[in-house]
Amino acid sequence: MATIDLVDLKKVYPGNVTAVHHLNLAIGDGELLVLVGPSGCGKSTLLRMIAGLETITEGTISIDGRVVNKEEPAQRDIAMVFQNYALYPHMSVRGNLEYGLKNRGTPRQVIDERVAEAARILEIGDYLERKPRQLSGGQRQRVAMGRAIVRQPKAFLFDEPLSNLDAKLRGQMRVEIRRLQRTLRTTSVYVTHDQLEAMTLADRLVVMNRGHIEQVGKPTELYERPASLFVAGFIGSPPMNFFELPFLRDKGGEALPQLPEGASVIGVRPDHILLQPPTSGGIPVPAILELTEPVGGESHLHFRLDGSNQLIIVETPGRPDIAEGSQQTLYVEPSAMHVFNGETGRRLN
Amino acid sequence: MVENRPFLDFLTHVVLILGVAVVAFPVYIAFVASTHPSSTFLRGAAPLLPGNAGWEVYRNMLFEGVSTSGTPPLARMMWNSLVMAVIITVGKIVISIISAYAIVYFRFPFRALAFWMIFVTLMLPVEVRIIPTFQIAANLSLLNSYAGLTLPLIASATATFLFRQFFLTIPEELMEAARVDGAGAMKFFKDILLPLSRTNIAALSVILFIYGWVQYLWPLLVTTDPQYYTIVMGIKRLTAVADAEPQWNLVMATVILAMLPPVLVVIFMQRLFVKGLVETEK
Repeated sequence: MATIDLVDLKKVYPGNVTAVHHLNLAIGDGELLVLVGPSGCGKSTLLRMIAGLETITEGTISIDGRVVNKEEPAQRDIAMVFQNYALYPHMSVRGNLEYGLKNRGTPRQVIDERVAEAARILEIGDYLERKPRQLSGGQRQRVAMGRAIVRQPKAFLFDEPLSNLDAKLRGQMRVEIRRLQRTLRTTSVYVTHDQLEAMTLADRLVVMNRGHIEQVGKPTELYERPASLFVAGFIGSPPMNFFELPFLRDKGGEALPQLPEGASVIGVRPDHILLQPPTSGGIPVPAILELTEPVGGESHLHFRLDGSNQLIIVETPGRPDIAEGSQQTLYVEPSAMHVFNGETGRRLN
Repeated sequence: MVENRPFLDFLTHVVLILGVAVVAFPVYIAFVASTHPSSTFLRGAAPLLPGNAGWEVYRNMLFEGVSTSGTPPLARMMWNSLVMAVIITVGKIVISIISAYAIVYFRFPFRALAFWMIFVTLMLPVEVRIIPTFQIAANLSLLNSYAGLTLPLIASATATFLFRQFFLTIPEELMEAARVDGAGAMKFFKDILLPLSRTNIAALSVILFIYGWVQYLWPLLVTTDPQYYTIVMGIKRLTAVADAEPQWNLVMATVILAMLPPVLVVIFMQRLFVKGLVETEK
């Protein structure tokens, strides 16, 4: 158990490419922090800097109040789960689990206890003597996590651990990682580019973009009050729709409420655009239905805005009976509007 | 091809059998010749069926040698060849796996240059650099010693290159996982890299053993003491007799004996050898 503090952290790669810009972040004891962002946003670099696999250009990383900038990964007492699992192919599952402990000179008896314990938690006891190549993807994933657990480290670092699994298994393992982290209460940093994974796992979510932190907070906070256009567009599926203010003013007219100074882009989540007029104050928007995607309990309707050719998505329960190609009027609830300044990208309301 | 055409079947078999015959027939002749007394060959015709002197010929060659052509017992020469081939094999593998490790896993100044220097030596086999190498070996008093037989042949650019290529296919995450698990450079090499290279090492051993065994020119140059003669150069000495017919039965017995160890190595290492060439355990 430990806290991790990142102060003024910066990473510049050879060739003057800055991957992480003066970043500050405090990770609490026992917290599961998820770093999310598009590829190339610096989230993996940040994780690898915490692990000690990348050098630090500027700033400090401290684990439990001790600055670890110059320490080797092994000295930092962290465990990492890699995207490709990185199991030692020539060792049995048991060998893989034991290797880190053996290198630390852990007594035989303690090693056996820890391995047995990890095998029990992860239900991998039946194939401890097998080689990794004889295991399925999900089993390998468990072994990779087992290798982290047996060490009882100060922190777990996950580098997109589920991205090599198929969708169903990914869902299962996601729940399992969450359960495991709740039980062990080990400080964890989890990197992913999948916003669903990020939303469901995180105690706190960090959205990164181009080496900067866009927003930090609880997943629901980020969903309900995204601080920037980037976060608004990244978190949530299907993604938020963005309207240019002049377009809404033109179509909606007097229904549009008073907006803060500098407002130019209005974001509305797909489930806040209605097909029927609400009891009061909906902003009417004319559009043509291009495509209907039934996704089980609800449907995603792809509309093209009348007059601006922009595509928007509406999420609605059930399967509405609207012909593709037909003209519709959609209604935007003023209370559900996220108001942004298009130039700075910041939230205004 | 999964076609069922009797004629094609017949044709492929004929070609294969001819191929085998072309390779095997001289070996058979050599064997037959080694089982006849030397008087058989004075008539100028080579026999096609084994004679009855085989036992005696081999025993003589192995343990007594041919004093008239200054050939020590073959057992001694085979021992020398074996020592030379094994030292070269082990030495080449040890040196090249370590240098490949350095080149792939460590960042040091002029790393690329170091690699290309090693690579360029591929263009300089023993035959090309033989005179300066001999000069150095002579100055270091390496003539007539196992060190002299093996040291100048012991560095291998080919093996270094093969190990380098293999190391490059090992995912970097494996090295990072080992670092997180507290394995230093030496531990990673010993615990991860060496076991993973096992099949590669086996395949290379076969190739390098045969390379060491068939060395001819270099042993011929550095050894003047019969104590250090190797068997491949021994064949040549047996045929080069002055003012007389070579004793072909003895020559052929030497040939057969010289051929035996490489054949045995290939037969017994075949499974590992093929595995090492086609499979990478990752």
